[in-house]
Amino acid sequence: MRPPRALAVPFELGRPFGAPNESDFQRRVLLAALKLLERTDGPFIEDFPDGPPGPPADMEGWTCPVNLALPQTDLSDAEKLALDLKQEVALLRPWYEESVKNFKGRRLDGLTEFSAEEIIDFLVSFVDDPSIESFMDGQPVGRALKLTSDDLKHFYFQAAMAKPGSISDIQMGDWYYGETLAGKMFLKLRELCLAHESEALQMIGRTNFVPNAMLKHA
Amino acid sequence: MAHLSDMPEKQRNMIVNQDLPEYDDTPCVDGPALNERKIAIITTAGLHRRDDTVFTPGVGEYRIIPDDTDMNDLIMSHVSTNFDRTGFQQDLNLVFPIERLQELQAEGEVGEVASYHYAFMGATPPMAHEAVAKDLAGLLHGDNVSGVILAGV
Repeated sequence: MRPPRALAVPFELGRPFGAPNESDFQRRVLLAALKLLERTDGPFIEDFPDGPPGPPADMEGWTCPVNLALPQTDLSDAEKLALDLKQEVALLRPWYEESVKNFKGRRLDGLTEFSAEEIIDFLVSFVDDPSIESFMDGQPVGRALKLTSDDLKHFYFQAAMAKPGSISDIQMGDWYYGETLAGKMFLKLRELCLAHESEALQMIGRTNFVPNAMLKHA
Repeated sequence: MAHLSDMPEKQRNMIVNQDLPEYDDTPCVDGPALNERKIAIITTAGLHRRDDTVFTPGVGEYRIIPDDTDMNDLIMSHVSTNFDRTGFQQDLNLVFPIERLQELQAEGEVGEVASYHYAFMGATPPMAHEAVAKDLAGLLHGDNVSGVILAGV
């Protein structure tokens, strides 16, 4: 087998073509990679010379459309936790719907068929009793936790993107894990999985709920 | 793309210790000019259509993205939390540059855009992908695809 051609790009992991909504720059990166097909030397790794356009996303003044006052919810009170989470979702829903319109109908959630409110009930039931069985047919409890929690997180993320402007993963993460009750619950899910007797859930707890860069909010 | 020197030791070791092919001084394969090639996109972003089955961690598998897919219908079931998703969430083309590829074709830089594109989920051991990757290579060859952009996240 002959070697592949590689273009090394100086962009953040998850952003292989540079920056969102920068079509000219994305096209430059793509063409630079494709042009390597015409080289017959190698093996080689070519460097792309330029960083992504625009100021660092962290420098921009993004704010969430909704000012969520993080309630002093006792996470051991399952009924109150579910109610407060559903209140948070209700505050965000108009902005989620606005964001879907801005995205021309594109929705980021939909990994499961459950509503945000149903997902809250599932996740809170696990927080209340980590020994529960899976609540999704054909999926072990760990995978069910991951898919439903991602759906809930994507709902929040889409609501947070309703206002124009670019946002970075650090800004979004600091908001979600530091300023929302849902994020606080994610930190609790991680903690419960790490302490679980199931090795599969321990592994899921290590990697599936909270990015390493956001453990500062634990 | 992160440089190895920027990575935490655990992630760096995981990559450095992968059992990967060594090419020595083997040159890349020859082929036609870019404006005569048919190009497909393969992403590792764990993308798929809303009605497709979500990806399963640790399993070698891929999903098909036909070029007439409503790209607004693509969602991401990648298991990892440790790469930026906000870029993809703001602009699909940042990880799956289908419109950019179509533009390059319209400008005459690329010969043709393939009818089918494909998505894998990274964070899966490379050897778990070997059988499906070989199978997919045969499919691409049969579809006269003569160049693939492997877009990793």
